Amino acid sequence: MNQSEIKSNILTTTLESAINWGRKNSFWPMPFGTACCGIEFMAVLAARTDLSRFGAEAIRFSPRQSDLLIVAGRISIKMMPVLIRIYEQMPEPKWVISMGACASTGGVFDTYSVIQGVDQFIPVDVYVPGCPPRPEGVVEGMMKLQDLVGEEKLSDYSPAPDN
Amino acid sequence: MSLETSTYQLKEKFPEAILDITEFAGEKILHIKGQQILLVLTELKSDGYNFLADLTAIDNLTLGGFERFAVSYHLLSHERAERITVKAYVSEENPTLPSIESLWKTADWQEREVFDLYGIIFEEHPNLTRIMNPDDYEGYPLRKDYPRLGRKERDDFPVVDRGIQKKKPLGWTE
Amino acid sequence: MDRITEQQIETDRMVLNFGPQHPATHGTLRIIMELEGETVKKATPEIGFLHSGFEKLGEDLDFNQYITITDRMNYLSPLCNNVAYALAAEKLMDLKVSKRTEYIRVLMCELSRIADHLLNVGMLAVDLGAMTAFLYGFRLREDIYDLFEIATGTRLTTSYTLVGGLMRDIPDEYDKAVIKVLDETDEVVNEIETLLNKNRIWQDRTKDIGVISKEDAISYGISGPMARASGIDWDIRVNEPPYSSYEDFDFDVAIALNGDVFDRYLVRMEEIRQSIKICRQSLDKMPTGDVSIDPDLGFSLPPKDEVYNSIEGLIYHFEVTMPNRGMTPPVGEAYVATESPNGELGYYIVSDGNRTPYRVRTRPPSLINYSIFSKLIEGHMLSDAPAILGSFNVIAGELDR
Repeated sequence: MNQSEIKSNILTTTLESAINWGRKNSFWPMPFGTACCGIEFMAVLAARTDLSRFGAEAIRFSPRQSDLLIVAGRISIKMMPVLIRIYEQMPEPKWVISMGACASTGGVFDTYSVIQGVDQFIPVDVYVPGCPPRPEGVVEGMMKLQDLVGEEKLSDYSPAPDN
Repeated sequence: MSLETSTYQLKEKFPEAILDITEFAGEKILHIKGQQILLVLTELKSDGYNFLADLTAIDNLTLGGFERFAVSYHLLSHERAERITVKAYVSEENPTLPSIESLWKTADWQEREVFDLYGIIFEEHPNLTRIMNPDDYEGYPLRKDYPRLGRKERDDFPVVDRGIQKKKPLGWTE
Repeated sequence: MDRITEQQIETDRMVLNFGPQHPATHGTLRIIMELEGETVKKATPEIGFLHSGFEKLGEDLDFNQYITITDRMNYLSPLCNNVAYALAAEKLMDLKVSKRTEYIRVLMCELSRIADHLLNVGMLAVDLGAMTAFLYGFRLREDIYDLFEIATGTRLTTSYTLVGGLMRDIPDEYDKAVIKVLDETDEVVNEIETLLNKNRIWQDRTKDIGVISKEDAISYGISGPMARASGIDWDIRVNEPPYSSYEDFDFDVAIALNGDVFDRYLVRMEEIRQSIKICRQSLDKMPTGDVSIDPDLGFSLPPKDEVYNSIEGLIYHFEVTMPNRGMTPPVGEAYVATESPNGELGYYIVSDGNRTPYRVRTRPPSLINYSIFSKLIEGHMLSDAPAILGSFNVIAGELDR
C-alpha cells in the first residue's frame, strides 16, 4: 500500500474515544413515561423531531436491553419501587435523563404523594427542564448527554468502596 | 314527575331522614342523615334517576354543617334530563354508611376512593381496600387536619446502590 | 389403529402481571390476570400509580391558579379540562361570559376532541399491529399542536381559560390556519378508515370483543363514546341544557348498537367528523367582542396591556391576585358536567367564601369507565386484553389524579 491509500483507509485513535464514540451514537433508550411528559416523548419519537437520528430508534421497553433510562413524568410513592427495580435491572454502562420538572424536582406537585426529584434516589446525568419540555429541548438534552459521554474516561469507573 | 314533586314525595315518605332541602345556582341539594341513604336512593332510583354521576365526600371541619363528613351523590335522570345532589352526613366518631353498590355498580371504586382518602367506612362493600395510596399507607390524606406535604412518606426510599462508583463530570456542582 | 383419546389435563391457573411498566398499558396501570391456558379467568386492576394529590392542591391554590393544574389531568385534551373548570367556577360565582368567549371555547374543545380521538385510535391500532394509522394520526396532531401554540403559547399544557374569560384573544389570521388543518383532517380520517374499516384482521380482532350491554353501561356509570357505542343516546351537549352556546351549532350524535371494540372505534371516527363540522361553523359565525368580563366585578384579570400601561388595570390585577385580597365567591357549591372526549367530565367546587376553593373534585371519566374492565375481559383470550384496554382510552393522569 502506498502512502496516500494508508491515509484514507486507516485512522488512529485512542481506545477511549472509540468506545465513547460507539456508546454515544447508539443509545438504546428505555422510556419510563408516566404522565404528560410521556406524550411529549412520543412526539419526540414521531416524524417531526426524530430521535432515531441519534441512533436511538430501538425502543425495546425492556430494561435489560437498554442503556438510557428516560424518566418522563411525575413519580408517585406507589411507583417509586418500580422505578428503582427497573433501574437496578439495567446493565452497566447506563445513564439517566430526567425529563420535565416533575421528575427533576417534583414540579407543580408539592404534595404528600409525589417524589420531589428522582435524583434523591437514583443518579441522574442530565436534567431537561420544562413542563413539558419541547421536543427540541429533549434533543438538546440528548446532545448534552452525548458530550458528557464523549468526555468519559475508562478510569472514571471504579469499584464502590466497601462499607 | 318533576323535581319539585319528587322532593315533596320524599319529604312525605322519609320525614325524619331529611335534614334540609336547599337550592344553589339553580340546583337542588338534599341533606339527609347518613344511615338512611340506601332507602332514599332506592326511592330516587325508582323515581327515574337512573344514573349515578359522581360520589365524593367533603370534610366540613372549618366549613360547618350538620356533621363533620358529608358524602355527596350526584344523580342524573335520563328521561327528564334533570340532576339532583344528595348529601349524607356522618359524624367523626362513627363514620359508617351503608354502601350503595347494590344499586349502581359504579359505586364500587368510588366508595373505595372515599374510604382511602377520608376514612369513611361503607358497610357491606365487597372489597373495601385502599385504591389510590399504597396498601400500607397510614392516615387519610384529604382530611383537613392532614398536612399537604404529608408525613415524610415521600422521602422514605432507599438510595440505590449502583455497585460501582463513577466520577462526576467536570463542572458538576451538588 | 390407534384411537385418539381425549384426556383432561389438570391445569393450574397462571398468574400474569400486566405490570405498571408495559408498552401496551398506556400509562401506569397494573392488571393481575389469572390465566388458564390462554383464556383469562379473572382480572384484577390495580390503580393509583400516578396519584399526585390534585384535590389536596386545590385547597391551597387560587381559583385562577388551579387552571394550570387542570391541564395535567387529561393531558391529551387539556383545553377541555380548562373549559370545564372555568364553567364550574363561573356557575358558582354566577358570571356571564361573552359570546365570543363561548365560541372560542367551543372551537378549542372540538380541536382537542379531534386530537384525543386520533391518538386513541392510533394507540389502539399500534397495539393490534397496524402502525400506519398511528403515524398518520401523529403527523396531524403535530399540526393541531401548532394551532394551539399560535393561540395559547404552548403545545400541551395550555391553561387557556380564566374564570370569566380567556387568557388572550385568538390572533387575526387564525381562521385560515384552522381551516387548512381541518381540510387535512378530513383526508387523514378518510385514509385511516380506508386502511382499517374493511380490513379482515382488524374486524376479526375487534368485532364481538368486549361487548358492553346497555344495562351494564348505565349501572357502571359509563358515558361518552363508550356508552354511545352500546346504544345509549346521551350527549351532554345535546340532551341536557347546553353549556357554552352549543345550541347554536348543528351537528349529529353518533350511536352504534353492538357495544364491542369495533363500534367504539367507529363512534370515535364519526365524532371526529362531527367535530370538524362544529369547528367550521364556529369560525363562520364567530362574533366580535371582548373575551374577558368587566374587571370592576372583581373576578377576572384585566387584559395585560391595561395592567402594564394604566394604573386602574394594575389595581384591579392586584385586587384579584394578592394573597390578602382576591376573589370573593359566595358560599355554596356547584357541579357542572361537560362532554369531554372520554365521557362526562364534571367539576364539583365547594366554596366557603375565601379566595381558594374549599373542595375541588373532578369527576374522572377514565376511572369510572375503567371499572367495567374486569367484567369484560373474563372469558376472552390474553391477546384481546390490549384491544379492550385500548378502546377504553384510559388516561393515567385523570384516573389517579
